[in-house]
Amino acid sequence: MVTNRKIFELLFLAALAVTAAFVISAFAAEAERATLIRGESLSSSAGANAQKIVQVERGSALTILERSQADGQPWVKISMAMDQQAQVSREVTGWLPAKSVVTASTANGDEIIFGQGVDSERQAEERGGRKGAAQDALRLYSRVPEMFPGSPLAAEGMWRAADIRWQLAKTDFVRSGKPMEEKYLREVIAKSPQSKQAELAAYDLLDNQLCPEWRGLAECPTKESALYEQYAHEHPQSPKAAEALYNAAWRQAALTDIYRINNDRSKSDAARQKGIALAQQIQSQQQDQDWKMRATDLIYKLEKKIPVYGVDVVETGETK
Amino acid sequence: MKPRTCALLLAISCSTILPAQQKEQGTIINEVQMYVSPDLNSQKLARATRGRDVPLVMERTKIGEQTWAHVLIVVDVNRDAETTRQITGWVPSNVVISTATPNGDQIIFGEAVDSENQAEQRGGRRHAAEDAMRLYYRVYDYWPNSPLAGEGLWRAADIRWQLEKADVRLRPSSREMSPDLRTPIDDENMKLVMKKFPHTKFADLAAYNMIDNKLCGSWKGETKCPEKESELYEKYAREHPQSPKVAEALFNAAWRQAALVQMYGAQHDKERDKAHKKAMDLAQEVAAKSSAGDPKLVDWKPRATELMYSLQQGIPTYTAEPDRK
Repeated sequence: MVTNRKIFELLFLAALAVTAAFVISAFAAEAERATLIRGESLSSSAGANAQKIVQVERGSALTILERSQADGQPWVKISMAMDQQAQVSREVTGWLPAKSVVTASTANGDEIIFGQGVDSERQAEERGGRKGAAQDALRLYSRVPEMFPGSPLAAEGMWRAADIRWQLAKTDFVRSGKPMEEKYLREVIAKSPQSKQAELAAYDLLDNQLCPEWRGLAECPTKESALYEQYAHEHPQSPKAAEALYNAAWRQAALTDIYRINNDRSKSDAARQKGIALAQQIQSQQQDQDWKMRATDLIYKLEKKIPVYGVDVVETGETK
Repeated sequence: MKPRTCALLLAISCSTILPAQQKEQGTIINEVQMYVSPDLNSQKLARATRGRDVPLVMERTKIGEQTWAHVLIVVDVNRDAETTRQITGWVPSNVVISTATPNGDQIIFGEAVDSENQAEQRGGRRHAAEDAMRLYYRVYDYWPNSPLAGEGLWRAADIRWQLEKADVRLRPSSREMSPDLRTPIDDENMKLVMKKFPHTKFADLAAYNMIDNKLCGSWKGETKCPEKESELYEKYAREHPQSPKVAEALFNAAWRQAALVQMYGAQHDKERDKAHKKAMDLAQEVAAKSSAGDPKLVDWKPRATELMYSLQQGIPTYTAEPDRK
């Protein structure tokens, strides 16, 4: 039997839970997420003449704590992780001019942040473009799905951020051998399965399974050709399907040369046939003109026994 | 007269006398060594690179398992000075793609795409961009009726333009404000694209590239440059409404107006407000055009939205020369 005291205790606990939930949700509502679309100096107080603490880069993840007016313009107090890439970082708080801060409640905020991401990406691609523009683009694109998960640009933002991170990591890998982290690309696949972005992420991930060097041996191109072919068959609608098929075909063409150099004629012929069959798939199944023409060129080379890998005895070889 | 000189003269005269349709002409799709006779052990003449003009394939012969082609070919004498000369020699026949090769236009175009791709890759083949440029040009040159001819000529002209643009940028005169004070990029091939393929996507793209020659090398804080450039880009957008570059042209016009807003500042209220309105109008037009569903235009709408937001909030879009678009 439930006593009055027990009922009171249950009611009290229920009331406590409701209050706690209200406080948490109120705090969450207060802790508005934001980012910057221009680099700004973080100031110790609101106002142009306040002491500068640190430079805050475009796309940094910010939490808004307070708003104020100073020097005739609005300011926001924010908190942020000092080093946004580090596993452990100290928190820093300060004031920023509100005009460069885009929050989750800014009208068209997703497009504004994404637009600045595109702009920064272009800067990164230009000779003499802004220093750190690629990292700016990476951060800005990352903010779109974080701040606007329901935006039509969320999946594209997540993919572009993961891809820029991957390309930067690839450069690092070539330079220092530092392994490439797959988690961001895997997140794209998990969050937007069966999407164009997931297919592109899966294609990027193949990089981690490629050999750093072939050393003239058949093992690597054989494995890589199979990987690309598998991708093309598993992702027939991918924007990368034609490229994957071409890469598979080109590796078979390389195998034709490797086996020929090793005097293994039957394997060389088999690779040639396989290469032609794969290139023909591009011609028959794909729409992209450039890949179709490259496939035609490759078929011609395979049929006419023009080497594509290494240096040929008649000095007509090329190396890719 | 030496026999080799005789052969050369005969080849040159044949190449001029024979009607175009009877001549077997083309190019090569792999870098090859040229020999004095169809024999790997014979004297080497020159190395011929991809896309080199083969104005005449004189004969073919089979020696053992290898078929050879006797060709007249244009080779580099000095790559930097762009001097060439015609020589005759023997090359493996399989690398010669001629007007007699089935799908020759597609094979050369495919090899050009491949070379262009190499040129874009870090550590790609040396001079791959020049290879691509020559190969694309050959498609137009020897297959003028091919569906790939227009694209081939445009891509060849564009690669030449980009290479020359990079070269011009390295010269001190590139920082001069007036475009008249620097050597312009040679626009002969762009004009050829517009003449041979008028009212096409390629003519639109060529016209867009040609704007480069009219842009200031440096604004030096003067308003006349962004004013003129904005006009140029807007005029282009109005005259080429179907161009793949229309959104970019409008955005460039809008961005220059946004820069003018800052340059005029508080001292010139009237001009500043006019530039502000113009920038907003142009950016809105970009956004409207870019939502047509074309995936190539999809990036321009967010960029236009960001520009409008920056204008509304008074966020600087133009700070110094390195930020120029």
